[in-house]
Amino acid sequence: MKQRHGAWTVLGAILIMVWAISPVIWIFSLSFKAGDDINNNRFWPTQFSLENYDTVFSTALFTSSLRNSIGIALISTLLSVAIATVAAYAIARLDFPGKRTVLSIALAIAMFPAVSLVGPLFNTWRTVGLYDTWLGLIIPYMSFTLPLSLWTLSAFFKEIPWEMEEAAQMDGATPWQAFRKVIVPLAAPGVFTAAILAFFFAWNDFVFAISLTSTNAARPVPAALAFFTGESQFQQPAGAISAAAVVVTIPVIILVLLFQKRIVAGLTNGAVKG
Amino acid sequence: MNVEAAPAPVGAKYSDRAVGERRLGWKLVAPAVLVMLAVTAYPMLNALYLSLFSYRLTDPAGREFVGLRNYAVILGDSLWWQDVATTLTITIITVVVELVLGFGFAMVMHRIIFGRRGVRVSILIPYGIITVVSAFAWRYAFALDSGFVNQWFNLADKAWFGERWSALFVICLSEIWKTTPFISLLLLAGLAQVPEVLQEAAKVDGATWWQRLFKVTLPNMKAAILVAVLFRTLDAYRLFDNVFIMTSGAQQTETVSFLAYRQMISRTALGLGSAVSVLLFLSVLLIAALFIKGFKVDLSQVRGG
Amino acid sequence: MRHLKRVNGAVARRDREQRFVAAVELNSARGRRSSSQRSRRGPALLCSILLASVLAACGQASATPTLNWYINPDNGGQAQLAQKCTERSNGAYVIKTSVLPNDATAQREQLVRRLAAQDASIDLMSLDPPFIPEFANAGFLRPFSQDEAAEFTRGVLQGPIESSTWDGELVAAPFWANTQLLWFRKSVAQEAGIDPTKSNVTWNDLISAAERAGATMQIQGNRYEGYMVLVSALVSSAGGQILANPEAGKDVRPAIASEAGREAAEVISTLAESDARDPAISTSDEETARAAFQSDRGGFMINWPYVYGAAQEAVAEGSLDQAAVDDIGWARYPRVEASQESQPPLGGISLGIGAYSQHHDLALDAVRCITSLESQTEYMVGAKNPGARAAVYDDPEVRAIFPMADLIRDSINAAAPRPKTPYYTDVSTAVVRSFHPPRSVSPQTPERAASLIVDVLNDRVLL
Repeated sequence: MKQRHGAWTVLGAILIMVWAISPVIWIFSLSFKAGDDINNNRFWPTQFSLENYDTVFSTALFTSSLRNSIGIALISTLLSVAIATVAAYAIARLDFPGKRTVLSIALAIAMFPAVSLVGPLFNTWRTVGLYDTWLGLIIPYMSFTLPLSLWTLSAFFKEIPWEMEEAAQMDGATPWQAFRKVIVPLAAPGVFTAAILAFFFAWNDFVFAISLTSTNAARPVPAALAFFTGESQFQQPAGAISAAAVVVTIPVIILVLLFQKRIVAGLTNGAVKG
Repeated sequence: MNVEAAPAPVGAKYSDRAVGERRLGWKLVAPAVLVMLAVTAYPMLNALYLSLFSYRLTDPAGREFVGLRNYAVILGDSLWWQDVATTLTITIITVVVELVLGFGFAMVMHRIIFGRRGVRVSILIPYGIITVVSAFAWRYAFALDSGFVNQWFNLADKAWFGERWSALFVICLSEIWKTTPFISLLLLAGLAQVPEVLQEAAKVDGATWWQRLFKVTLPNMKAAILVAVLFRTLDAYRLFDNVFIMTSGAQQTETVSFLAYRQMISRTALGLGSAVSVLLFLSVLLIAALFIKGFKVDLSQVRGG
Repeated sequence: MRHLKRVNGAVARRDREQRFVAAVELNSARGRRSSSQRSRRGPALLCSILLASVLAACGQASATPTLNWYINPDNGGQAQLAQKCTERSNGAYVIKTSVLPNDATAQREQLVRRLAAQDASIDLMSLDPPFIPEFANAGFLRPFSQDEAAEFTRGVLQGPIESSTWDGELVAAPFWANTQLLWFRKSVAQEAGIDPTKSNVTWNDLISAAERAGATMQIQGNRYEGYMVLVSALVSSAGGQILANPEAGKDVRPAIASEAGREAAEVISTLAESDARDPAISTSDEETARAAFQSDRGGFMINWPYVYGAAQEAVAEGSLDQAAVDDIGWARYPRVEASQESQPPLGGISLGIGAYSQHHDLALDAVRCITSLESQTEYMVGAKNPGARAAVYDDPEVRAIFPMADLIRDSINAAAPRPKTPYYTDVSTAVVRSFHPPRSVSPQTPERAASLIVDVLNDRVLL
């Protein structure tokens, strides 16, 4: 796999980095432009200003949406990873008819167009009182976080040396004990990776977010960005939106910096040994 | 769908333990299956039911059973077909460009040693970023008032969002930027599966770089490529966020997802909107079926995408 | 409420500081409240985890009732009124504002969805007049009694009253009113040799004047409600209307496929073909029009009065010269036919009381406070949005900020409302879809719009 560096590879690497990073730098740059500087038609601000950050953090729409997003994305991620871990263990480890079907169902559901679910969910939620609540988003988020976690985890679990569990069972442990004492520590990195990926998806959702919420009570960040009014600001809220965008991008950058190897492995199922 | 199963545990057939294992297996997957069906199958059946009515949320008294009329209306409407065409255009353009670009990225990531971490981190940022944020970044870059693109390329006052194809161009750019990382990582996994021995043998035989690419590398990656394309195609077909933020569907840039959203949520025409949702779902199924039957995509290659 | 949005009041720095102080006070009030909110959050979280049926039992049990007022975005004027009226209530209630999205259509969408869920937390809402019939027809609004109606309409301009009435009942209380004026740069008008303040100036006169001076004529041509405002005002000014019997609901007969409709279409296509159009005419809204009007090629513009305040604000901030503001002239909405008076568009906000609110009486009291002459005057001075009561325009402070106060009042009096139908959104979307983009408009466009309206209302096509 190791090959000598061609000039093309280096050039390619530089191009990739420029391509991937420059839109992010652009939105950072926009967020530092105050007032009419937004419309300077240049990449960089004429004058650095933190005014937009002041604005977004004093805007209830944004601060509450940040809270909602973190809470809703975390809860739906935790729930689905918990359920998926148990199921993926069974699929990877146990022999029972129908497990292929389970994975097929998960795959089909992961491909489901979210918009198709939105109408009926809205209609149901408004009658049972889940409209514009956290739970009203956590449930539909499971429609993609759960199959995603199931797939990632069952792929990870295939790589785990199950002999150790066999050994534990030989020593008299029940399957449940063996699972808990031996497998869980081995599986933890995979579970963690599945959680990161599921979190990205839940953090990113827009369709459910705009359709099933309507106030600060449950509206997550992507929806808040789309409905940003900049409140008591006179200019178009482009600057404030950019600042808010930067704030919600920073966690993504941190996660990527800390866990790039795991995320790559999660997406490619460890086929690439970093 | 053919899904590769985990290797069966040794010597577990027909014993009491096998029966217990089977029961345990079902018990353990039951919650996942039930939740997945509850959050998708129930709303879908509900949509199927609603689609048979003419039903406006703001006019509940006017609710009326109309059978399949909503479907006839949609399929007979040029707006539906225009949106299907727009969606397919965006899907094809983005998937093709992403495939070529993603393959290039994968090649670079496959070979690079020094700076590997940097490349991977930077490529994962678009993957992790919120689509709405990406849409805003690209929209502001091209907008007449805040953008720098016209300035950089001396385009004076070209109104990118004022015309169909230029608006679609920006929408595709944002989509490509955001999702190429995903496709390139799947292809990277595929590249790693190409046996090095074959490459070396081809080199010894004096094959050029291009010959090796087309005769050795690509054929050995066929499965990974098809899976990547299937995933991205189905994903692109649902495109919604970028259109919502950039044009709100103006200048004939509306996608099928956006159409369903507008009927359902904006107009609160639950009957007609549900019918669009059902048709959207059916077209996704159709695309998936075409890939799996037509191209014989081997889903065992799929790794938790 | 793009067309009413961002009231962008141009407030001089002094006013701004005052507002800042008010905002700080508001924040500290919020802080005080938030401790009680926090204590409620624990149970609230528990509620959301429990079954939905249990949810209903978890209402908030604070001593002072809170009135939730859903407002369109402005510069903070409504929040200030909320605070003032809270204080005036002597502890009877606390008004809490929640800001709706920018765009009028999106505001309606948010409210309709909540109201369809019979949301008891909507006590007051700021409604854009064209959406009132839909809300009233669906039973989302608490109608006012005869006595209440008399109180809320006394001294109020006719347009806002009519647009707040449905089925013979006043269903919303006029709070402020809006209309569009023709704005021009005196220097450009002079160069082009036109006097836009002459009563019989037409769209065609202005377009060719702008062409002569190498300037633009700014309108709102994006695919949104603001473009409907333009089409509707043009059709009315040409002596026609969009619907013949708007109150007929689904069985409505469109009237747009008429001579007036064709004249309106011709104005749009003339502008879209001329050199006076903005390059981004098909995505332009109030804000882009305002920015373009103040840029090099600015000359003429149709827009709401907030733009004048915004220009003053820009001067205060130092991004615009005082000379530029002095150069701004204003006139009545242009005519379509030289011989026929124009009918400017009508906008504004009326206050509705949520039908499912638990505090009808308190909300009524709040409406009384918010729509009082004093409050409306305060709002016009602070937020730069024209009052619904005629007497507001006689206030010296208002007249100092709006030298064109009389013109605004006269225009509101002469304004034509958009069609009053419970299916307004569908009608508006159908018209906008047919007329968009502006350069595609032809003499056949009004007919296409008419048949699209009928088909859409009968669920025969998608929209």
